[in-house]
Amino acid sequence: MRISKIARHVGTTTALVSGILLAVSQTAQANKELDQMSRQNTNWVMQTKDYSATHYSELYDINITNVKNLKVAWSFSTGVLNGHEGGPLVVDGIMYVHTPYPNNVFAIDLNDPGKILWEYKPKQNPAARAVACCDVVNRGLAYAPQGKNYPATIFLSQLDGHIVALNAKTGEMLWKMENSDIAMGSTLTVAPFVAEDKVIVGTSGAELGVRGYATAYDIKDGKQAWRVYATGPDEDIKLSKDFNKANPHYGQFGLGLKTWEGDAWKIGGGTNWGWYAYDPDLRMLYYGSGNPAPWNETMRPGDNKWTMTIWGRDIDTGEAKFGYQKTPHDEWDYAGVNYMGLSEQMVNGKMTKLLTHPDRNGLVYTLNRENGDLVNAFKIDNTVNWVKHVDLKTGLPVRDPEYSTHMDHEAKGICPSAMGYHNQGIESYDPTKQLFFMGVNHICMDWEPFMLPYRAGQFFVGATLNMYPGPKGTLGQVKAMNSVTGEFEWEVQEKFAVWGGTMATAGDLVFYGTLDGYIKALNSKTGEELWKFKLPSGVIGHPITYKHDGKQYVAIYYGVGGWPGVGLVFDLKDPTAGLGAVGAFKELAHYTQMGGGVMVFSL
Amino acid sequence: MRLKVTILTALSLALGVAASGAFAQEPLKVCAAEDEMPYSNKKGEGFENKLAQLVGEELGRKVEFVTWTDPRFYLRDYLDKGLCDVSIGMDTGDPRVLTTRPYYRSGYVFITRQNDNLDLQNWDSEVLRKVERIAYVPGSPAEVMMRAIGRYNDMFNYEQELVGYKSRRNQYVKYENAKLVSEVASGRAEVAVLWGPASARYVKESATPLKVTVIPDNNTRADGEKVGFHYSTSMGVRNGEEALLAQLNQVIEKRQHDIRQILEAEGIPLLPEPEPALAMKKQD
Repeated sequence: MRISKIARHVGTTTALVSGILLAVSQTAQANKELDQMSRQNTNWVMQTKDYSATHYSELYDINITNVKNLKVAWSFSTGVLNGHEGGPLVVDGIMYVHTPYPNNVFAIDLNDPGKILWEYKPKQNPAARAVACCDVVNRGLAYAPQGKNYPATIFLSQLDGHIVALNAKTGEMLWKMENSDIAMGSTLTVAPFVAEDKVIVGTSGAELGVRGYATAYDIKDGKQAWRVYATGPDEDIKLSKDFNKANPHYGQFGLGLKTWEGDAWKIGGGTNWGWYAYDPDLRMLYYGSGNPAPWNETMRPGDNKWTMTIWGRDIDTGEAKFGYQKTPHDEWDYAGVNYMGLSEQMVNGKMTKLLTHPDRNGLVYTLNRENGDLVNAFKIDNTVNWVKHVDLKTGLPVRDPEYSTHMDHEAKGICPSAMGYHNQGIESYDPTKQLFFMGVNHICMDWEPFMLPYRAGQFFVGATLNMYPGPKGTLGQVKAMNSVTGEFEWEVQEKFAVWGGTMATAGDLVFYGTLDGYIKALNSKTGEELWKFKLPSGVIGHPITYKHDGKQYVAIYYGVGGWPGVGLVFDLKDPTAGLGAVGAFKELAHYTQMGGGVMVFSL
Repeated sequence: MRLKVTILTALSLALGVAASGAFAQEPLKVCAAEDEMPYSNKKGEGFENKLAQLVGEELGRKVEFVTWTDPRFYLRDYLDKGLCDVSIGMDTGDPRVLTTRPYYRSGYVFITRQNDNLDLQNWDSEVLRKVERIAYVPGSPAEVMMRAIGRYNDMFNYEQELVGYKSRRNQYVKYENAKLVSEVASGRAEVAVLWGPASARYVKESATPLKVTVIPDNNTRADGEKVGFHYSTSMGVRNGEEALLAQLNQVIEKRQHDIRQILEAEGIPLLPEPEPALAMKKQD
């Protein structure tokens, strides 16, 4: 693994970061208020905590000295048993709680957490349940403070493909738009993301041949501002005139068509159901497009651009300034929609605006988020084997053919598995330590393609995936790393995966939930476990923290499910069922069962 | 004739079977689908269930259906392991087994509504470029031609919808022949492309009059390779089971007329066997 040798100037960094933050507040226009609220650590107004997706709170009332005294303050059952991804939002004394399908929303009064202020229970086409691949999850709500011509608004994605705007004070529906058509295999599980006067929504269903897109809607009325595709003609993908000008070797124009055979780009996948980040100073939005379709790679020769791509787009027009494809011609389902964490760090002696992305393919990429320069790419774990290293000059992964999934090749022990070493968890970045805290999967797989004759010249074409714990014997790890140097500060093993991600605080703590149902607090300097509590069900969401009436709280959803929990949710026994997840997680049923709710802790 | 009986009795004795009364013979274990209609189901309603009964009757052996659920692996997990001994419907010449002489030949068909009067003869017909929906089974020769005429991609979603968006990774996904026919009958699709024997019963039962056009066997891929739409069907036994194969061949010869009656009752379009009988050409 090639790692750029870069000096860490911790002292100067903090000062410079503050300088950049100041500049940001001055230039941001429409959602200056949301940006500011996200910095008030009393609230937690976005799934990602703030536009940089630091998932880091400056609160330190709960810290390494007293975290051992953390106790349950109150709890709330959502009444839904499927996997609870994402986290609650807290805005000015109200907690907003969402559920997986049927996607109910509850507003809870923090002055009297025993009371539901309002609830929203959408009527949805139940057919949506059958279309969702991996449990009926939802990654959370978004909030927009009151604007000139709209009230404070809560945004909800529904599994049946609709995006709904609700009055944050009353729960009354303000508008509803169809974003995805379940009749076309497209569902919605992504958390909406508010930036400027827009709310951004993605798509799910790449595996079913959905041509992925991201859409911006006007907050006030849901009118479509722009829609950008991952594949097809440049005008659909919306490439700016100077697209990838700084890195022409990433590829520039016409490739959304040229890297596909015929018009296969029309069913090419590249949906985005992960997380967004935003730089109000650059007015740029960041996200990843997912895997190409169909999953059988022999059916789609070519690089399949622009699936598996980190995008940097202009928020006003949607136009892409840069696009970096991490896994050209994916063969493993390494959907690249994961966490995008923004930081400002020293690179070659210069304070640089960075974007760090732990990909499902087992590599951590750090880019200059102004122009897309690849600063660093390294393995999140030394057991990653499909790739030898990333050539930083070309940006291309150097593959090991042994772990290819070609039709005529049975690959054993591919790491990571199709679930990735990093899936949908939101991670955290502590700017004072310049450390990212990563919940890492440790799951590998065998991939056996088959093409079996039946009769009358018909063949059954498919693949059998078998997933199991990686070489270290566990299913998960938590790691603290510096994204610029590629150095790991510490790592701890987890018996089961840390599917939902981490939250860090100025109390030198990192919190996370485990699939078997623990919420844990570690010393963020050392990785030492300081506190844990067993929740009623396993965790696939992320912790948050807020302050109410002068007291700091930590909250987390419990409710096992999602892809790792499909075996539990749907009572599957065959180890290859649930796209191979059942085998990997068959132990889980001995540790936790289904549930659904939020648990809140305080000292 | 006398000699044969003697040999068979000797065999039965050697196998330790009580050679007495009606059960002088071991039952004939037929590998049959639990639910792959119209071929076979648990209740014995498929046309291959009927053919199996006919074979049993002729051999004087009681038929025992050994049922499987996943057609991808039934030869590997059932026939090859000796759990059952005969597969009633296989492509003639399938290299995984020994196949009998063909007992019928049929073709893939276009199914349309009679009232639509579509001018549809073959894959190059203009109609196929214009219709909104074409229902077909992926992995069949129809998929190759759907690609060739440029309809594969825009039918991709529909093809997934037909099976409720089930992924073909890690599971067997069944395209129900009855459903594909009903898509045309109900007007959801203008054309269905199915193996004639697989669709015959449902076309016959349809309340909406349907038209069946046998697809000619002259289609080729872009590289000139033939894409076969006519296939001969045989029964199959495990490699090495020459004696059973010989018996089945005799049954097919002797009961030709009865077999034909079952197939005609099913409504299967029957085609003449080419001369000399062609071995199945492997499609890939």
